Amino acid sequence: MIKAVKAAIAVGMAVVLSACGGAEEAVKMKDTLVVGQGADAKTLDPHATNDQPSSRVAVQIYSQLVETDKDMNIVPGLAESWKSLDDKTTQFTLRKGVKFHNGEELKASDVKFTLEAMIASPTVAHIVNSISTVEVVDDYTVNVITKEPFGPLLYHLTHTAASILNEKAVKAAGDSYGQKPVGTGPYQFVDWAVGDRITLKAFDNYYGGKQEIPNVIFRNIPEGTNRAIALETGEIDIGYDLEPIDKDTVRSKDNLALVEEESFSVAYLGFNTKKAPYDNVKVRQAISYAINADDIVEAVLMGAGSPSSSPIGPKVFGFNPNIERYKQNFDKARELLTEAGYADGFKTSIWTNDNPTRVQIAQVLQAQLRQIGIDMSIEVVEWGAFLDGTSRGDHDMFIMGWVTVTGDADYGLYALFNSATHGGAGNRSFYSNAEVDQLLNQARTSTDAGERKELYGKIQVILQNEVPTFSIYDQYQNIGIQKNVLGFHMAPAGHHKIRGVRFQG
Amino acid sequence: MSQEMTLDPVQGQLDKSPAKGAPKKRSQWLEVWHRLKRDKMAMLGLFIITLVVLAAIFADLIADYETVVIAQNLADRLQGPSAQYWLGTDEFGRDIFARIIHGTRVSLMVGVLSVAIAIVMGGGLGAVAGYYGGKIDNVIMRVMDIFLAVPSILLAIAIVSALGANLMNLMLAIAISSVPTYARVVRASVLTIRDQEFIEAARAIGASDLRIIFRHIIPNCLSPVIVQGALGVAGAILSTAGLSFIGLGIQPPEPEWGAMLAGGRQYLRHAWHVTTFPGLTIMITILALNLLGDGLRDALDPRLKH
Amino acid sequence: MHRFILKRLLLLIPVLLGVSLLVFAIMSFTPGDPAQLILGENAPPEAVAELREEMGLNDPFLLRYARFVGNAATGDLGQSYTSGRDVFDEIFSRFPNTLILAALGVVIAVIIGIPIGIISATRQYSMIDSGSMFFALLGVSMPNFWLGLMMILLFSVNLGWVPSGGYSSWSSLIMPAITLGTGSAAIITRMTRSSMLEVIRQDYIRTARAKGVAENVVINRHALKNALIPVITVIGLQFGMLLGGAVLTETVFSWPGVGRMMVDAIRQKDAPTVLGTVVFLATTFSLVNLLVDLLYGFVDPRIKSQYA
Repeated sequence: MIKAVKAAIAVGMAVVLSACGGAEEAVKMKDTLVVGQGADAKTLDPHATNDQPSSRVAVQIYSQLVETDKDMNIVPGLAESWKSLDDKTTQFTLRKGVKFHNGEELKASDVKFTLEAMIASPTVAHIVNSISTVEVVDDYTVNVITKEPFGPLLYHLTHTAASILNEKAVKAAGDSYGQKPVGTGPYQFVDWAVGDRITLKAFDNYYGGKQEIPNVIFRNIPEGTNRAIALETGEIDIGYDLEPIDKDTVRSKDNLALVEEESFSVAYLGFNTKKAPYDNVKVRQAISYAINADDIVEAVLMGAGSPSSSPIGPKVFGFNPNIERYKQNFDKARELLTEAGYADGFKTSIWTNDNPTRVQIAQVLQAQLRQIGIDMSIEVVEWGAFLDGTSRGDHDMFIMGWVTVTGDADYGLYALFNSATHGGAGNRSFYSNAEVDQLLNQARTSTDAGERKELYGKIQVILQNEVPTFSIYDQYQNIGIQKNVLGFHMAPAGHHKIRGVRFQG
Repeated sequence: MSQEMTLDPVQGQLDKSPAKGAPKKRSQWLEVWHRLKRDKMAMLGLFIITLVVLAAIFADLIADYETVVIAQNLADRLQGPSAQYWLGTDEFGRDIFARIIHGTRVSLMVGVLSVAIAIVMGGGLGAVAGYYGGKIDNVIMRVMDIFLAVPSILLAIAIVSALGANLMNLMLAIAISSVPTYARVVRASVLTIRDQEFIEAARAIGASDLRIIFRHIIPNCLSPVIVQGALGVAGAILSTAGLSFIGLGIQPPEPEWGAMLAGGRQYLRHAWHVTTFPGLTIMITILALNLLGDGLRDALDPRLKH
Repeated sequence: MHRFILKRLLLLIPVLLGVSLLVFAIMSFTPGDPAQLILGENAPPEAVAELREEMGLNDPFLLRYARFVGNAATGDLGQSYTSGRDVFDEIFSRFPNTLILAALGVVIAVIIGIPIGIISATRQYSMIDSGSMFFALLGVSMPNFWLGLMMILLFSVNLGWVPSGGYSSWSSLIMPAITLGTGSAAIITRMTRSSMLEVIRQDYIRTARAKGVAENVVINRHALKNALIPVITVIGLQFGMLLGGAVLTETVFSWPGVGRMMVDAIRQKDAPTVLGTVVFLATTFSLVNLLVDLLYGFVDPRIKSQYA
């Protein structure tokens, strides 16, 4: 019997050792950049998903017609130039000689194929549903025609979902395209160990020149603490989204740096405005006066954000910098509550999904609202149920976040505050205001940047006064990085490009 | 899967059936107690559990719920242990000692009630299956197999997302996933008892099935259930912690050990006390329950008599 | 023997049908719309409706279930809602990770559990017994994600001996396997101890002692052999359990296993993946149990005869 046990142990060890032999020894540091993020990509077909972990990998593999620079100006991407032929037609001239990873050359037909496939994909259609037709003029010229004049078109085309695909590659791969992506980007897909890592290598024929770092690996490290630890132990070179508490540790290490920047992400408290007492603007204002956003930023984010005054972040096109934010003032809050007929406060509830940051926000809000007599229970709801319930309007208050991915106010305001998009389409506070509706449409169909800015400015003033949603804070995004990694820039939408990054020495 | 999904730390001992022979009399329980007293480790376990129960009973005398346990004090967040805060403060500046003390109520309640629910449901099913045998037995035990094969985490998420996340539903989720364990334990005991003479005798004098089950069978299955129960409470507390870890725990601001442990994990390196004390509390309590459970098993098993 | 195996395999069918029906019902009737989850927070209701239709979610429950069973019978578990990947392929690409972790976890548990169990049993109620049971129980008393985190801090951060997570080389296995193994170690210790205690009290051991056989020979040659039979069952059960995936351990160590895949899918309401993983794990678990029973019969001829 002892022998049997020993044999079993020996077999076990043999299995282990043989498997280890099979796993490749960690590649030499200097030719591979390892990035750790909090989830594995779902699919690398940009039309099949709109989630951040996927986009963060896809953005290395693909290019878009136009891109934004760090000041959010539109700059050439695959299109070297563009011009408006009339207020609905934009003509793009493509770069010549751009190669896809499968060796095909980029043609106008690929652009037409991509945009039409996008319109047909329920997942990402909303980004380009302003487009009516795409016309191929010649191999390197393509006209994009919108149904109505559409101001934010170029911003929408910078979205990672608008990455240009190769018609032949997509058709050849069929259903499995998401696991064999082909783009024109600086890195090409090599291998995907599902749940663990995605390996990319530099593309020789990248139109912007071959990258210095030959290999890039995206690792899935779900726990924030572990990403910080992996940075410290040198297992990864860049860690996305570190926990606020780990920032100081990373800063204090000689070989590590912490980069923290503004992002397009805003966390907000929403009110169900079709339900009492939140149909009363005074109640919403009273609650706004009861909140101390500085405390929330300090307690929940450890300072990694700034109290907000608008549903869109300061970096977004159309942001109105002249709006006052609500400052905590219990007297004023009680006064407003009394005027609304709730002098003694009321019982209510707040919904949040199980995102720990949001649960923490809810806890601070709970303590703050208690001060003006509002007894708020926290209901942590699973994400699926959260989306379902808030679409139907079962909730009282809720916490959510919004990332204005395109960097244009239309993306951040239209879906959230238009009375046509109540519920699941984005307006989970069920806010209706004819003036806001009209201004949103006017700003969307205008192609004059100055006019659009002014219209969005007006909308934000109304929203801040009527507070269908209370914008809590603009969240900073951070990364931890080895100091020997140079040239890394963050993108405010979170889809950082590895392009141009190199190792020191 | 070990402790995280199965709620039963003693897999494989399910079919052991220490209960044998005639109905136990009071003197036998006394004898069990005497045997248990000899087991130093079991007595240590009993002592710790007594302390925990006392903490739960007198929690309000030790710290006030409204002003100490759930009141936030952001200026004092993440403070280390001091004279004012014996075990330091958490991320909202709340006194960890006070929260642990009040947490005994929640954790014990989750542990004991979920096990009680599981014993009633599982024990009942197991008794019926074992007593009637045949088709009924087959059907019940196959259904139990199905429940055993469905991951408890899925059951928990299903119950919580369908019925809402609150203490009761959490207990229900934990209970349901351990029902098959108790069903098996009780069924195994019943099988050894049902054909014995005293049952025959009861049947002969015209006792109803229900009466036989409640008066004669159940009391004689108690000892394996008690052992399993002590260990089950430990398992339930650990499961709650595990569910908190994946974000399905108790609703804030209620203090619950598992939620405190899981919620503080990101501070592990900077404010060690936030997770360490709830972690130690859980560990010591579970250890005590396990020691007592093991001691009980030894003491109740007549085959191990000296 | 063959009939026994066949019977057990046939018995698996109703259980799997029941499991899949239950899981299918859970996925269908709990709140949360997969189409909404795929499309995200601001999908127009028309798009959600369109996608629901495309995914066949509007069909009656029983029709969808029948479709699933029909496909599953031919080995097609469908495609994941979220990644579009073949569920069967993904399970098989992750299963080796789970298998190796579970195997090593059990090996560790056996190495710790059996010796401690034997020592404890031979000296019941002594300090050594109490002490070793105490330590064995410590393992099962610790929430294992906590144990995992502490080990990472000590062995990765402070000592720099092993990677903190992921699966890049053999050293990545050590900490997750220990974390996983400690719980099982305690259970194996307990079983070894009680089984030994039982055997030691049997007549043939008393006879051996009376004949003057040396105590260590009595224990090693006579007692252990019989005492280990039930322990093997427990080891098998534990292996089956660990194969079922250790979600928390996998999360703490960023381990790409099947358990994590299942939990992620549950949260995404990715029904094909959830069904696929649960059915797969239930099957594996049952097969391991069957194997254990067969092994049991192998080492103990008395039991073998019952199979006929």
